[in-house]
Amino acid sequence: MSVDASISCQEVVELLSAYLDGELDPFTLERVEAHLAGCDGCTMVLEEFRETIRLSGGLTVEQVDETQRRTLLEAFRNWRAGS
Amino acid sequence: MADPRKPPDDLVLVERLRAGDETAFMMLVDELGPSMRRVARMYVSSDAVADEVVQEAWLGVVKGLEGFEGRASLRTWIFRILVNTAKTRGLRENRSVPFATLAGDDLDQPTFDPSAFGGPGDPNAGAWSTLPFDWRGMPEERAEGTETLHVIGGAIAMLPPMQAEVIRLRDVLGWTSDEVCNALDLTETNQRVLLHRARTKVRSALEEHFRSVSEA
Ligand SMILES: [Zn+2]
Repeated sequence: MSVDASISCQEVVELLSAYLDGELDPFTLERVEAHLAGCDGCTMVLEEFRETIRLSGGLTVEQVDETQRRTLLEAFRNWRAGS
Repeated sequence: MADPRKPPDDLVLVERLRAGDETAFMMLVDELGPSMRRVARMYVSSDAVADEVVQEAWLGVVKGLEGFEGRASLRTWIFRILVNTAKTRGLRENRSVPFATLAGDDLDQPTFDPSAFGGPGDPNAGAWSTLPFDWRGMPEERAEGTETLHVIGGAIAMLPPMQAEVIRLRDVLGWTSDEVCNALDLTETNQRVLLHRARTKVRSALEEHFRSVSEA
């Protein structure tokens, strides 16, 4: 790889979300992959990003307030009755 | 992570709503309600007004069902109605919220602490000088315990509201980036920046947490 096509750790960590979401352009993607192949530190952070995303998926979704639910259901019934 | 609902499922769901199916309606209310309330709250002055906005938005949804064509996903379409309703209401309240207040005022700063890297002039400029704590390979029962979820939930709650909502929709609820851009009225670039900052902060919170439990 030529010197001016290389990319630093500090730059790579800013691109990890875009990398994981498949949003990098082909040129940048190639540079990021070449960097990751030779850098344990950035590979570690990448794997921790993956794990962060996976663990976040385990959060439970909050409940809707019961009063609000009843109000909305009533509004839905009224709409149906009126249409 | 929830599976993204496919457009054909959306059309079936819309048919059920048009037919007045209460179960289908309440399923949507339960799925989207908490996010809708928080998003509404970004634009208006109080929780009570946010609740009114959510109600008004749902009314707009059921009235507009005939016009739903499935070009956007149903949930995106519902959020568009919500955001428009909330913005209109915010204007009426004379409340204008700068984007930086919602998104965070540090978006042009590096997300990682620059002191972890070699500085300018250093032969290793931009390369790691101090590696973060390596928390890979945490035992599964520790990594996936309720304490970890508590740390993640706490870190998300500390984020500026738009960062928090982007990471919730993307990583907790599994929406696509297109859906989130559309739903929250964000450019692709802004969405990506907000998501990356949010994930970086949650990752740091996990790093801190796992470091402290491994030292305990
Ligand atoms: Zn690196």
